[in-house]
Amino acid sequence: MRKLSGALFLGVVLIACIYPFGWMFFSAFKTNREIYQPTLFFPMDYEWDAYNGLFSGEYLPFFDYFINSIVISGVQAVLAMVVTAAVGFVFAKYSFRGKGLLFGVALLIILIPKQAMAVPLFDWMLWLGLQGGKWSMILPGVASGLGIVFFRQVFSKIPDELIDLARVEGYSGIKTFFLLLPLIGPALVTYGLLHFILSWQEHLLPLLLLDDQNLTLPIALSKLRDSSHRIPEAVGMAAGVLSMVPVLLLFGICFRKMKTALVSLSLH
Amino acid sequence: MATKLADKKSVFFLLFPFFGLWVFFWFVPIILGIDLSVQNPDRSVSHWAGADSMATRQDGKSISWGSNLGGDEKGEKSGVKYVGVANYEKVLSDAKFYKALKNTFYYVFGSVLIILPLAFALSICLFQLSRISRGFLVFCLMIPGLALPGVISTLFYLFFHGKTGALNQYIVMPLGFDPINWMMDPDFIMPSLIMQSVWRWTGLVTLFFVCGLEAIPRWQFEAAKIEGVDGLQKIRQVFLPNLFHLAVFATVFLVVDGFASFSGAYNLLGGSGGMMDAGLLLVTYVYQVAFPGGSGQFDFPGAAAMSLLVVPVTAFLLFLVLQNRRRLLLR
Repeated sequence: MRKLSGALFLGVVLIACIYPFGWMFFSAFKTNREIYQPTLFFPMDYEWDAYNGLFSGEYLPFFDYFINSIVISGVQAVLAMVVTAAVGFVFAKYSFRGKGLLFGVALLIILIPKQAMAVPLFDWMLWLGLQGGKWSMILPGVASGLGIVFFRQVFSKIPDELIDLARVEGYSGIKTFFLLLPLIGPALVTYGLLHFILSWQEHLLPLLLLDDQNLTLPIALSKLRDSSHRIPEAVGMAAGVLSMVPVLLLFGICFRKMKTALVSLSLH
Repeated sequence: MATKLADKKSVFFLLFPFFGLWVFFWFVPIILGIDLSVQNPDRSVSHWAGADSMATRQDGKSISWGSNLGGDEKGEKSGVKYVGVANYEKVLSDAKFYKALKNTFYYVFGSVLIILPLAFALSICLFQLSRISRGFLVFCLMIPGLALPGVISTLFYLFFHGKTGALNQYIVMPLGFDPINWMMDPDFIMPSLIMQSVWRWTGLVTLFFVCGLEAIPRWQFEAAKIEGVDGLQKIRQVFLPNLFHLAVFATVFLVVDGFASFSGAYNLLGGSGGMMDAGLLLVTYVYQVAFPGGSGQFDFPGAAAMSLLVVPVTAFLLFLVLQNRRRLLLR
């Protein structure tokens, strides 16, 4: 009985999670009239107009936006991985004067999200001359407070003996860090993926900071929507489906690693 | 955990990139924000040459950014007037600010209080299954979290909402209620926003919890078996304590994300607060103050003051969560 109700509960939630996306996938082939009937799942017939329109750039340079998004999120995730891991490593394994203070200061970044500071950030970027370019999006997102907490936890699971060994061998701290990186591979991948996702989903900052030719997918999606029904809804659906592809691929490939990392992180 | 003294050079080089970025792209903007927040909002428009272009972006028109720098530097020298805490006073006496604050609290607490138990129940159900199917199902649960917020709200708009939408067709009407207008009825705007947040984040939190459960050492289950602990008691004595630190982490993440959430409400309600501002969230309101549509005046100092006023609130909330984590556990 308990098993049955558990399975039922799970089933309902799963349907709620997957069904709408299936609907979105098939809606990319539908006409507006069909889309406005949400209970209809399959289209009457399959029209590829929406995808064709997107790829030919009929509505907006969708493909460019797509590449921009991948470049910005990818570069940001890779930089964030290395930069935050280094800090986590130092905080977990070394002691020096002012460490506690520095840690607290780094965590302050959690308190004030960069979205709240969008306007001064815009001003500052303008002054730096970065405004409009991709770096204006990439750099502010690299430093993350939660990442430090995460990597400090990860590195504290690494036995101290390894650090000692490295010291006996005469390696510097920097070299030790890079030698340890393969050991925390799953954790790196996990963090990189989560960071990629968050940056992939960022909406407010690209709206303010980026030039037209550097815009990202979230902006493209809202542009496709808010042109008040001039563009067929199917196009928005197709764009939505395409925007899912890279993330689903990345997660599909790395999911097992991610689980390993999270499990080993909570081992006592 | 023994820590060791490191060579100073290494520590410096390992910390430098992060703290360099920290100072450059977090600290300086904050200081600029504080400076901005005590300035007179009615200063010369030339300083904010960028403002017009930022605003036109909202209409999707193409704009040129080239001329902004010159105007900016000139304004810096001439037009700035400092007005002290006037902007803060203005915000604090603004009824709409409190409305937005209340909504944001509602949003954050609502999502956390629904997501955590839901994810906990899901992870326990999943834990009974075999490893492979478990992994697959968790992945399926995470799909909404991987989607862009724009996709989420588009789906919400076209699929869930509306008289013929899924929510009304499959849930509300079968239960015998009148169809609900999820986006126009002021009573239901916040629940719809919370539902979106729940739909989006439950999968990720479930993943955390499932991994936490898999990490429980086998002896704990054996001990529970010997002691005859089963059912609810097992959940309370074995599962809950082991998931606790993950729940705290998830809460912090959700609180921070909730306060910074912009895109969901922005996409759904088109940058407005919805009917009677019932769905007005803080970041949306900050954005509204900074870039009012139509002929409104850009009030960047006001917006900056508002952003800064939120900081102690978030800090206080996080402090509460972290302080009471023991008590929350023992109840």
